[in-house]
Amino acid sequence: MSKQNRAYSIENGIIIINRELTKLDLFVKDFLDVLKRHSNYLVVSGFVSISTGRTRGTEDVDILVQKPSKIDFALLLDDLFKNKFWCYQGDTIDEIWKYIENRDNIRFAKEGEMFPNVEFISVDKSRPTKYFEFTHPQGIKIQDFEFKIPPIEFEILYKEIVLAGKKDVEDARHLRTFFSDIIKRERFKEYEPIIKKELK
Amino acid sequence: MELKQIPKTDLDYIEFYAKKLRESPEFFKQQKELIESQLASSSALTKQRFPKENFKAQVRAHLKEIGVF
Repeated sequence: MSKQNRAYSIENGIIIINRELTKLDLFVKDFLDVLKRHSNYLVVSGFVSISTGRTRGTEDVDILVQKPSKIDFALLLDDLFKNKFWCYQGDTIDEIWKYIENRDNIRFAKEGEMFPNVEFISVDKSRPTKYFEFTHPQGIKIQDFEFKIPPIEFEILYKEIVLAGKKDVEDARHLRTFFSDIIKRERFKEYEPIIKKELK
Repeated sequence: MELKQIPKTDLDYIEFYAKKLRESPEFFKQQKELIESQLASSSALTKQRFPKENFKAQVRAHLKEIGVF
């Protein structure tokens, strides 16, 4: 089967998805173009499945971000506002920072819209499972949009073991089937005990 | 792809579709249509529910009302 006839290929360790960009991709790309100037990140959960072909809708895109200092977060916030994003939780650093300090997630959407939105999840070493995936990214590319996701095996197990809702189990089945020829069994063994720590 | 067994459950259909998609990436076009249709509907509903004037304040009041924050 030629490359053009396959839904994905691997080039230099990066998963290349053979499809056009959607408006949802462009929303995430716009957000990441700003975020990347300020911080490391990892796109997790539903968007991982959807970006690889799962046919379902979503209203939010979960992104893990290294917990910032207040000064760094103020600079990121200013850049996001300049690029026409707004934050559900407030318009100023003082209004929003308390959520970051309390480890509450915050949400950003494009001005004048509620959906789609980015759920901004700050992580540090105190959240070992999330921190593990954050520090073991897998590259993925759709056209000129390259971004980082967890290892596919990690994402599958996290959805099956920790999230475990109907939608999550379905997403996991999609990933297991779609990537069946590149999934590595030994990685499931490696990741399972790390993921189970999240349940404790 | 030969259909060996008729899908019965939601998971059967997801597996069937994922296999089909892997072999025939033109199915991504359907997925793009579905995603963009949902985004257009959400956007239309948002604009209907929360007019442009004082948009953020109205959305925040609604989110507080439903207990999001």
